[in-house]
Amino acid sequence: MKVLSGFHDKHYKTLLLIPLILIVLSLAYMFVFYQNNGDFFKKDISLTGGTSITVYEKVNIEELKTTLSSQLNDLNVREIYDLRTREQKAVIIETTSDGEFAKQTLEEFLNYELKEGENSDFEFTGSALSQSFYKQLLVAILIAFFFMAIVVLILFRTVVPSMAVVISAFADILMTLVLLNMLGIKFSTAGIVALLMLIGYSVDTDILLTTRILKRTEGTLNRRILGAFKTGITMTLTSLFAFLIALFIVKSFSPVLTQIFTVLVIGLGFDLLNTWITNVSILKWYALKKK
Amino acid sequence: MKKKLTWKIWLLIILVAFSLLSIFGMPPTFLEKGVVVTSIDSDSSLFEQGLSQGSIIILVDEIPITNLEDYTKIMQEKFPSNNSQKTTIKTKDSEYVVLLKDAPQIVVEDISNSRIKLGLDLAGGARALVKAENKSLTPSEVGDLIDITRNRLNEFGLTDLKVLPVSDLSGNHFMLIEIAGATPKDLKQLVSEQGKFEAKIGNETVFVGGDKDIASVSRDAQNSRIEGCSQSQEGYFCRFSFAITLSGDAAKRHADITDKLEVNSTPEGNYLSEKLDLYLDDKLVDRLLISEGLKGRVTTQIAISGSGEGNTEEEAYENAKEEMKKLQTVLITGSLPYKLEIVKLDTISPTLGKEFINVILIAGLVAILAVLIIIFIRYRKIKASLALILTTVSEVIIILGVASLIDWNLDLPSIAGILATIGTGIDDLIVLLDESVHSITISLKQRLKRAFAIIMGAYFTSLVSLLPLLWAGAGLLKGFAITTIIGISIGVLITRPAFSDMIKRFGE
Repeated sequence: MKVLSGFHDKHYKTLLLIPLILIVLSLAYMFVFYQNNGDFFKKDISLTGGTSITVYEKVNIEELKTTLSSQLNDLNVREIYDLRTREQKAVIIETTSDGEFAKQTLEEFLNYELKEGENSDFEFTGSALSQSFYKQLLVAILIAFFFMAIVVLILFRTVVPSMAVVISAFADILMTLVLLNMLGIKFSTAGIVALLMLIGYSVDTDILLTTRILKRTEGTLNRRILGAFKTGITMTLTSLFAFLIALFIVKSFSPVLTQIFTVLVIGLGFDLLNTWITNVSILKWYALKKK
Repeated sequence: MKKKLTWKIWLLIILVAFSLLSIFGMPPTFLEKGVVVTSIDSDSSLFEQGLSQGSIIILVDEIPITNLEDYTKIMQEKFPSNNSQKTTIKTKDSEYVVLLKDAPQIVVEDISNSRIKLGLDLAGGARALVKAENKSLTPSEVGDLIDITRNRLNEFGLTDLKVLPVSDLSGNHFMLIEIAGATPKDLKQLVSEQGKFEAKIGNETVFVGGDKDIASVSRDAQNSRIEGCSQSQEGYFCRFSFAITLSGDAAKRHADITDKLEVNSTPEGNYLSEKLDLYLDDKLVDRLLISEGLKGRVTTQIAISGSGEGNTEEEAYENAKEEMKKLQTVLITGSLPYKLEIVKLDTISPTLGKEFINVILIAGLVAILAVLIIIFIRYRKIKASLALILTTVSEVIIILGVASLIDWNLDLPSIAGILATIGTGIDDLIVLLDESVHSITISLKQRLKRAFAIIMGAYFTSLVSLLPLLWAGAGLLKGFAITTIIGISIGVLITRPAFSDMIKRFGE
């Protein structure tokens, strides 16, 4: 305990370099990514608009991919299988191509007719609408972020700790996006919902930490940090494990929930770093300086 | 251990009991036997006798029906038959006796286990987001559009539907139509047709659809019927006709226009020189001869006719019936003042929906178990760990209770919202639990009070960050925001204070 506390007292400012470097690298990555792709992440058809066809028959997806990828734009094929038997139940084909054309092409490949509501389902979103949805959801995140910052400022009535909360939530989202981009995961509306959830979780532990460090007086500063750390780490790890388990269960059954859980698992992972290194160091610095 | 429970814990218990009641009903729906009628053809004799949507069938020909399987079995054995058979259908409230050659024109389903309504993405059906083509709609225009659409869909016998106005952050207004169990093809057809009806003589419009020109449309068997079928070169066609009553203005217009026409003599009789042309969405439906006697006369009674074609006589008959219904609907409801465009059309298969719920339940249970294990390992307090899980589960029960009370349709975003609530809920409970095991000098009560300061802070930040979602993206993610807001509010107001009292009791 003493050794640890001594180490932290000596190096907490240096530790701040780790998230700082990561943030700078992430920003650089995002900048390059934006230059190449014209956006902050790859979007799936729920954000770009397009057609999604679900076929409730056995389909050889490898063959489908190789045959149709030249005909259908941005083709994406997913499998849905039974949880226990691992038997294929359905195939979801997504493309930005026009709905009728996609249906025809698919029917030619499958050699049978696709009947809506019987052996298949169709989902179509116009691209203009999706574009506006997408912009609005980004605005929603920005507004959410702004509101969150105001509430935090009202709670603590001091600028530096409030900024620390906002920075750490921002870093969570930024690093999550970078990792998702690196893994080549396409973002959907569900992902945006997950980002909002992530803001909530991130702020939870930050508020706990800030309250314990700044509003309490008992024990030494390090003791209070350690106490908050124990509580916070339990909170985050419990959520992380619960989501990880849920992720394995819903994986390849529900694309929507899979995306939500993936974003949360990655995000909570980064939140451990950002709360317990970034935020702790900033707050410790602030608290010691105030003394 | 015989200590009195605090009012906060009692409140929690009472609310959980109420929620269970609201979810399962009284007597519990899962104990009910029979099948529920989900849709019924308005032409059928059963409908005329009073069987309606929502009726629960318990007996068919004295054989008890416990589930869908029983019902299907009986109907398969009985129909189709060559002779009309007497069929007795007994529901919970009354009995219906009909003579039928084919199985009754109704759709039945098993009685659902709970009163929770599932959203379209879980129950299956079709959904369309609609806007006007090349025109932005004002809120009042969307209101009118919704009235006409609802009217029209009801005329078509679709009742399990939702037609809602939605708008987004940029101020665009849309109409959202959700029909459970409908095929998207129907929905597309219904929406894409403007339903513009015009009756013209030459280039002059005599009357159009809607209540301004049409006083009433006959739909009874006597005044609206299929007149007969005949074979043509391409197949069969059947003619239909029905009577309508024109308003005074339209009748006068009819008189003025026909007055100018000449009379032609033909071997079949004397008719006016021009015909009455009926157009539906600018397509010619039928051309009617106008008899000599109508020239210049103010008449309100007019017969409208048309035909349906098909490869077989039966098909032609069905098509004629459908065409007639469509024409009648358009004449009653009138046309939309603009063309509509579907911007988003979704269909979801209900079979996947059912399995889906199982998967979610499994995921939820396993996740809760995992939480229990972690909490137990961390705090080594079996009672407190169990109380934590109990609190979390009752939070979910109360959310579901509220959802079924306000008829909230539980869709996928709502389920994500419940997850978010569970997640933050467990976080808060850990803060409470953790604060209670601290070995500092101030009282337990004080410590728990301080924990609530943290919890309220977290609550308000979550609350405000959800607000934009109520409007963004035409409110399609509203389910997430609403359920989370309901969930976390129940959490900080009811369940989490109750949990804090539970810990206090364990501490004493």
